[in-house]
Amino acid sequence: MSSSSLLSSQSATNRQDKVSVAVPDRFMWQGCSAMETQWRVERLLSRYVACIDDDNLEAWPSFFTRDACRYEIITRENVERGLPLTLVFCMGQGMLVDRIVSLREANIYPQRWYRHIVSNVVIQAVAEDHLEVHSHYVVLQTRRNGQTSIFSAGKYKDRIVLRAGELKFAEKRVEADTHSIDTLLVSPI
Amino acid sequence: MSSQCSGNQAGNYTGKAPAVWPAKINQIPKEVFGDKDLFEKELENIFYGDCWHVVGHVAEVPNVGDFKTFDLGRVPLLISRGKDGQVRVFYNSCTHRGNQVEVSASGNRKEFECPYHRWLFSLEGALTACPGSKEFAPDFKQENFGLLEVKSAQFLGLILVTMGKNTPPLAEWMGEEVTSTLSALLGGDGRLKLLGYQKVSYNVDWKGYNDNDGYHAPMLHAGFRMLNWQGGKGFQRMAANGNLVFEAELKPAQDNGFLKDPSLIAFKGSDPARGSMIVQLYPTTVMVKHLDMINLRFAIARSEEETEVHYAYFAHEDDDEELLQHRIRQSSNLLGPCGMISMEDAAIFRRIFIGNKTPGVAEFQKGVTSFTELPADLKQNDETGNLGRWEHYRKLMGFKREGGK
Repeated sequence: MSSSSLLSSQSATNRQDKVSVAVPDRFMWQGCSAMETQWRVERLLSRYVACIDDDNLEAWPSFFTRDACRYEIITRENVERGLPLTLVFCMGQGMLVDRIVSLREANIYPQRWYRHIVSNVVIQAVAEDHLEVHSHYVVLQTRRNGQTSIFSAGKYKDRIVLRAGELKFAEKRVEADTHSIDTLLVSPI
Repeated sequence: MSSQCSGNQAGNYTGKAPAVWPAKINQIPKEVFGDKDLFEKELENIFYGDCWHVVGHVAEVPNVGDFKTFDLGRVPLLISRGKDGQVRVFYNSCTHRGNQVEVSASGNRKEFECPYHRWLFSLEGALTACPGSKEFAPDFKQENFGLLEVKSAQFLGLILVTMGKNTPPLAEWMGEEVTSTLSALLGGDGRLKLLGYQKVSYNVDWKGYNDNDGYHAPMLHAGFRMLNWQGGKGFQRMAANGNLVFEAELKPAQDNGFLKDPSLIAFKGSDPARGSMIVQLYPTTVMVKHLDMINLRFAIARSEEETEVHYAYFAHEDDDEELLQHRIRQSSNLLGPCGMISMEDAAIFRRIFIGNKTPGVAEFQKGVTSFTELPADLKQNDETGNLGRWEHYRKLMGFKREGGK
């Protein structure tokens, strides 16, 4: 018994070591300390979801790089089966803008509110020119009848870069645990 | 009682579907939407009756051991590809005490194991092990306890099942009008490659879904108009048993300034002359080919107010890398519950469903020339194409029309 509990505690330690080896508690990135970088990343994520929740969608593309950027929402079901189909797939600013123009001018849907909750923000990898950041999200949806339900839960997997002093998404991949969509998905997540 | 369904001025709303419908063929009693008792009867007469039902395509289970589960009404199904390469459809139920054998939506197995008493079934359905069988009942014979197979048939890999005893052969049931369009829609030879799923829950009954997914595109979807697609030449044809076919030319989209990135809507692999194809197989299946998207919609009638639809998208096995990537990009952006063109479907269908909980009838107009006979010829955008399905439904359910049969 004692040897097996020793073994399991060892492996838990090993796993923690692995994570801390990948990204140490202290590092410098683009002239910022680890703490400052963490704070800046969390601020970017908070501003990003506020943009969506406040229905300020015309500003949504500005959270992405102007050169080749990528935004996709894919279901975890498709990911785990190795299937490439996504729910939304934008490459480049043009397609981001087209999504917003379409939902403003072409699509018909009942008014509802989104409320994003983002947590567990972890910088997974630090490269010279970008950060890999994972975080959890939940989107609550409130319909016109006043009832609120969980619309989508999942994970953000972001590649974040610095452009003219500001953090931008070069890539934002939304992996949605929720693969049964309630009616429709019109706004970005 | 019949007065309640004789016109839009009619009186009391009861929420109960009438057994006698108005005399006019273009009038449908609104009470057929959302009646709980009626739904139970529909399961019996239609879903468990003498109709074929699409449950998948063999490209969803490409390798030996691949499986998919699906439901026909409330009946759980297990679709499996055996070691012989054959795709079979079983009831997803252990032949011992009826435990559900497989709970995942899909996966790959070497065999199927019921966790309850460890009965093991081969990919072809045979019972290969059942611990403790020496103490089983005297008449127990292992070879008699393979998974029960559902009667199934295929059309270019499309898998259909029926639980009815008197269902006509598949080709006869589909109708010859369907064959050419469905073949082309399935890539000519059915050699498809699964790209993935978008799954949506519609808060409408299966008839509300079926009656509206198909006819509505040119008026409802501003997305089509903004992309400068007013719809080219085309046709709509009724086939046997409530089945329906559409084809339309889609002119290669011209950049009218609406899209910043119009490459999304280019044709790369398809002939624009048959740019848009829709096959609707009664009762719930809609299959479309728009631009370079091949989209089969597998629907499950859950209740009198819920229909679950799995939008499955495919490429063709022979696609080169460029065409494959183009199909993924189009399929990920244009149709389905998040598609820029048609995302509003579910929201609109829900409004239709709610709006029909009122007295009177839903009345079809566009293309109506007779109140007693189904139209022989349909124009592309006539809504009378739906009347064949409603007449088929009425007969399957045993409802009569006033003063008639």
